[in-house]
Amino acid sequence: MEYGIHLCILVCIYLILAQSFNITLGLGRLLNLAHVAGYAIGAYVTAIGTTTGDMGLFTAIIASSFTSGLLSLLLGGIALRLSDDYFAIGTLAFSSIVSALLINCKGVTNGVLGISGIPRPKIADFELLNNSSFLFLVFAITFVCLAIIYILFSGPFGRALRAQGENRSALLALGRDIRLMNTTAFFISSSFAGLAGSLYAYYINYVDPSSFSFSEMTLLLTIVIVGSPGSFWGCIGSTIFLVCIPEPLRFLDIPSYLVGPMRQLLQSVILVLVVWLNRNRLFSLTREV
Amino acid sequence: MELLPQILINALITGSLYALIAVGFSLTYGVLKILNFSHCHLMMAGAYLFYLFFVELEFGIFSSALCTIAASVFLASIVFFLFIRPFEGRSILLPLVSTLGCATILESLVAIFFGVNVKSLSGDWISESIEIGSIFVTPLQLLIISTAIIISVVLAIILQFTPFGRQVRAVAERATAAESVGITPVRVRFTVFSAAVLLTILGGILVGFESNLTPTMGQSFILKAVAASVLGGLGNVWGTLAGSFILGFIENIAVGIDIGGFSLPASYKDSFAFFVILFVLLLRPNGIFSMRRRSV
Amino acid sequence: MFSVSDISVQIGDSSILNGISCEVLPGECVGVIGPNGSGKTTFFNAISGFVVHQRGTITLAGRDISALPPYSRAQHGIGRVFQNFGIFRDMTVLENLIIALEGRASLRKTLLPWSSANRAIREEAKAFAAQVKLDAKISSKAGTLSGGQMRLLEIVRTLAFGAEVLLLDEPTAGVSPKMKDEVANLIRYVQSQGKTVLIIEHDINFVQSFSSRVLVLDQGQVLLFDTPENVTRDPRLHEIYFGKSF
Repeated sequence: MEYGIHLCILVCIYLILAQSFNITLGLGRLLNLAHVAGYAIGAYVTAIGTTTGDMGLFTAIIASSFTSGLLSLLLGGIALRLSDDYFAIGTLAFSSIVSALLINCKGVTNGVLGISGIPRPKIADFELLNNSSFLFLVFAITFVCLAIIYILFSGPFGRALRAQGENRSALLALGRDIRLMNTTAFFISSSFAGLAGSLYAYYINYVDPSSFSFSEMTLLLTIVIVGSPGSFWGCIGSTIFLVCIPEPLRFLDIPSYLVGPMRQLLQSVILVLVVWLNRNRLFSLTREV
Repeated sequence: MELLPQILINALITGSLYALIAVGFSLTYGVLKILNFSHCHLMMAGAYLFYLFFVELEFGIFSSALCTIAASVFLASIVFFLFIRPFEGRSILLPLVSTLGCATILESLVAIFFGVNVKSLSGDWISESIEIGSIFVTPLQLLIISTAIIISVVLAIILQFTPFGRQVRAVAERATAAESVGITPVRVRFTVFSAAVLLTILGGILVGFESNLTPTMGQSFILKAVAASVLGGLGNVWGTLAGSFILGFIENIAVGIDIGGFSLPASYKDSFAFFVILFVLLLRPNGIFSMRRRSV
Repeated sequence: MFSVSDISVQIGDSSILNGISCEVLPGECVGVIGPNGSGKTTFFNAISGFVVHQRGTITLAGRDISALPPYSRAQHGIGRVFQNFGIFRDMTVLENLIIALEGRASLRKTLLPWSSANRAIREEAKAFAAQVKLDAKISSKAGTLSGGQMRLLEIVRTLAFGAEVLLLDEPTAGVSPKMKDEVANLIRYVQSQGKTVLIIEHDINFVQSFSSRVLVLDQGQVLLFDTPENVTRDPRLHEIYFGKSF
């Protein structure tokens, strides 16, 4: 039962993280390799805010989201004027800078040792120590986030993002400011990633640079692609699937240091398989005029 | 500042390593038109294969080298035919994602079979410091520098003066036109890709001797390869070579010098690559040696 | 309505447009013809902002739009129909029209998918689709349409967007002979709505039926700008297509 609750909390956090990634990659065809950086920043803001300061729950969540969003504006300013290949490079570089800063600014982030002892959030003096009560909070927040994201997906903004991925010039000819649109998408996507990070920090009570690595990025990529890029419900399904499927590995009789790499292997094999099988339909070529 | 000659030698060594690793990445982009994000993971895997032959199975150095070359070509073929070729002519997002997946697969496999602990390649005589003037070098480091120089020269000769080199340049420029004069783009691409992989694995082995091997080294080196390539111009072999040395220089100077008692902690050394990338992308996305401004 | 003055476009080392000037009156229909490579599409690109011009000015309804980016020029009323079909193939016909209409609507009103503004937009989109006889196909992906249908969709989408100046780049390319009449009818309808239209075409006869004037481009310059009758009679027209010795 405890284990089930743990999985549910994890799934909820990943739902927010993956759906926000779905906005930029799935709808907008923007491969933002720094999405996990947004997640990390959110986690660290909450970590620092609640350990050194005395941030309340909502302050922490808003601060985390906002900081991630703000930094994404910086990234967007540089990366969004670049074409696909260079865009991927730019976001990758940004992600690495964030990583390097987290490791090196020891005074603030405690370097590779990470920040521990992050307290559970308090709602009106009631501390959510119990995992089930924490689950209620996370579930409620996730529900609200997903509802907002759903509205974005099915409304004009989602439509325009989709169109941009398909035929950029045609969308420009219809009077849409694509740069502004992408910047907004970035901001929203990163803010949600920061929010997910905040929840992560509150749940695990410990953050360190290694939890936000390259392999997290590949997991998110796998989730979005397996769930069909741009599909809201597909992404929900694939998140649940991909977060849960490596779990049986825990119960096998293998040394604990192998569990991580095996989970990674399983997820990346699924990714490559799905990409290969769908290569004709996935990310159909954008048309240039 | 008496340390300057030492810093320069270190810059040369770092630059040489980066050159070996980055030139393949840049060539892959120039000829296959893809960013191979698994490039440095292939380097890591190949270096670990060498470790397997040389240290664990205790083959001699030449046998290990031969086995590694054979295994590397095999590995390159798998990657080329499964992760790259199926996605030609489609959205570039596909090879990007596919190579990222490939990289993670390689990293997990190596972690599973070799463990996550650091491994080292070592030989006694190659690590002994020699003093030349005011600088200290090891024979290994001299080997690194000379390898980079030799490879650069050989690459120059092949690309400029041989028929195959002409084919490579033709395919890089316009594959369909090359096809119409009887060149088989697939063969050219495969050969270039394999060569790129072999070169980077060579670099990886030297890194293994010079420092150590970990499954995550792919992640750290890819940024260096990208930085050097972007600096010199993706696809531009000379630019990338120059970019590699410039990057090596920047890294070593930045942490080596003392300005009024303030110096950068060595842990920031690796971060320069990232800043270099972003800086170049901002100002001259086609590399500092290009005359054209890229417009979107 | 709009005028271009001394427009020059240089790409790399080659000069594609070399000092083009012309003035188009409101509600006028101008045909743009010329041999391949004369710069017709580049001319449209320069007007709509997809290509930056190095010299000269473009004025729309008295306003200098030379420095504006393409989306801004579109918002000022320039509608562009692309040679290679600028429709969104993976989206349905209805969605293609909805996007165009949403461009003019306020974001606040259309944010919630179930709002009344959105329902109104849907109805309007259906009406536009019906106008080009695509009402049966509104839920099909635009990529499944025939060339002629795609063209009709694209033109009517520009109307839905509210463009005042329509730049049609080879509207009959890829269109079956039967559909050409439909395209012609649609263009006549567009004219009747008072829109200014410029059409690039190779089929001079097609163009003649609606244009009040024809602009002839050759090697990036204006050769002729006159009524269709005068243009077809001018020996220079034959020269640029067939050479002097003919």
